[in-house]
Amino acid sequence: MKFDISYTFDALPRLFEGALVTLQISLLGIALSLCLATGLTLVREATGWTWAHRMLAVYISFIRGTPLLVQIFLIFYVSPVIGLDIGPFLAGILAITLNSAAFVVEILRGGLASVPKGQFEAARALGLNGWVLWGKVILPQTFIASVPALVNEYTQVLKATALLSTITIVELMRVSQQIYTRNYHPVEVLTGTFLMYFVMCFAVSRAAAQLETRMKRRQA
Amino acid sequence: MSRDAKFLELIEITTKFDTLTALDKVSLTVAKGEVVCIIGPSGCGKSTLLRTVNWLAPPNAGTVRLEGQSVGQAPERRQTGRGIRALNTFRARMGMVFQQFNTWPHLTALENVTRAQVVVLGRSAAEAAERARAALCDVGLADKIDDWPEMLSGGQKQRLAIARALAMDPSLMLLDEPTSALDPELVSGVLAVLKSLAEKGMTMLIVTHELGFAAQVADRVVFMEAGRIVEEGPTSQDLHAPKTERLKDFLAKLTATQMPSAMAQKVVAHDPI
Ligand SMILES: Nc1ncnc2c1ncn2[C@@H]1O[C@H](COP(=O)(O)OP(=O)(O)O)[C@@H](O)[C@H]1O
Ligand SMILES: [Mg+2]
Repeated sequence: MKFDISYTFDALPRLFEGALVTLQISLLGIALSLCLATGLTLVREATGWTWAHRMLAVYISFIRGTPLLVQIFLIFYVSPVIGLDIGPFLAGILAITLNSAAFVVEILRGGLASVPKGQFEAARALGLNGWVLWGKVILPQTFIASVPALVNEYTQVLKATALLSTITIVELMRVSQQIYTRNYHPVEVLTGTFLMYFVMCFAVSRAAAQLETRMKRRQA
Repeated sequence: MSRDAKFLELIEITTKFDTLTALDKVSLTVAKGEVVCIIGPSGCGKSTLLRTVNWLAPPNAGTVRLEGQSVGQAPERRQTGRGIRALNTFRARMGMVFQQFNTWPHLTALENVTRAQVVVLGRSAAEAAERARAALCDVGLADKIDDWPEMLSGGQKQRLAIARALAMDPSLMLLDEPTSALDPELVSGVLAVLKSLAEKGMTMLIVTHELGFAAQVADRVVFMEAGRIVEEGPTSQDLHAPKTERLKDFLAKLTATQMPSAMAQKVVAHDPI
């Protein structure tokens, strides 16, 4: 069978629509994951709730110690059983969020470690504490220090959403499957899919590199 | 004694880190408007003593009082609730300046100075900005208002940190080796700011190794060693006629290492006797 690039071109409009869904899901996933991970980081660093710290450690090791695909299936199939009829889209978002948050918590731990202890002391000495200390002084610096690792995590999430095709979410990967099961030209169609994923990830990491240099210049 | 004489009281402060006794029943009273310099070898507990005053380092035993009110009384820690709010009110009245500046790198110079005013003192954004401009002016940073701290030199960062503390209109300043992390040529700018503060009557506790500066501004010098106050007295006496051998040795070592001739001259020049 010869490679006929016209099949790639024919598929592009629909692949593009699929890519938009992929972008939306991944952005939603990383945003929710960042919120969740920030909350968990605060619990871990700013509270003395040892039981919560232990549960967090268990959560992180479960997530990191099992395949994402299994996590997606588990949430997708288990949620109706326990009376939660959330559908594939929400199940997918939930799986991606819970998975990514475990990694983002570790990223934020690294970012936080780079904030000198003196930053806390200066804030406390001025009478700041609690929400203001964390929200206005510590977390902004933690996020800034974590930007490179967070961008990397986002590209991981973006690629991982391809797994959501297995629970019938019509994102980029699912769209390409739909096309090539009809026209029997998987190579041409998947080439388009391949390029779509690559362009998205490439654009994200380029934008991040630009952002980083701009942040560095501000502090030069 | 009048209330002004007992402006700040540290009473029998004992602080332990595991088996190490960083402060051993240290008591110190500072009068309103007094400038007290704390000197002593590295690791003798100077920073810990300063951090006890605003309860950043809660001691294992002892009491701190500011104008007769208890800032903290060991073993209370005040990490939550009403206790921490009361403590924050005290902390807002004590400006602290650190060796490593600890300016906030993600905020501009102006924002560094306004943040705590708005949150702790409840000033409006406009009031806070006005006070911040005045404070930045006082420390000679009027033209750096919108700069990021990372664009400033060490001396400028330290003056920014001083402005941040001053904008809270504190009744007491705590300075922990404010010039030790600075290149020699940047030291004088910071010392000039502190000197003018002293002249305006600010009560200050300063940990410093700048003997010439201490001779000029300090009313009293406190010499610490191994978690204890070994000698304390009027500046001229402590620096020129130390009573203990230990202080004599310490001063000799210090003047030998730090610009020996200039230092000796300065000290002599300001000797009132
Ligand atoms: N947070 C801490 N944990 C353990 N030991 C400490 C801590 N802070 C200070 N120390 C110890 O207490 C002693 C006094 O320290 P410090 O007050 O910083 O001395 P100085 O400021 O005079 O150099 C030192 O031996 C130091 O190692
Ligand atoms: Mg020290």
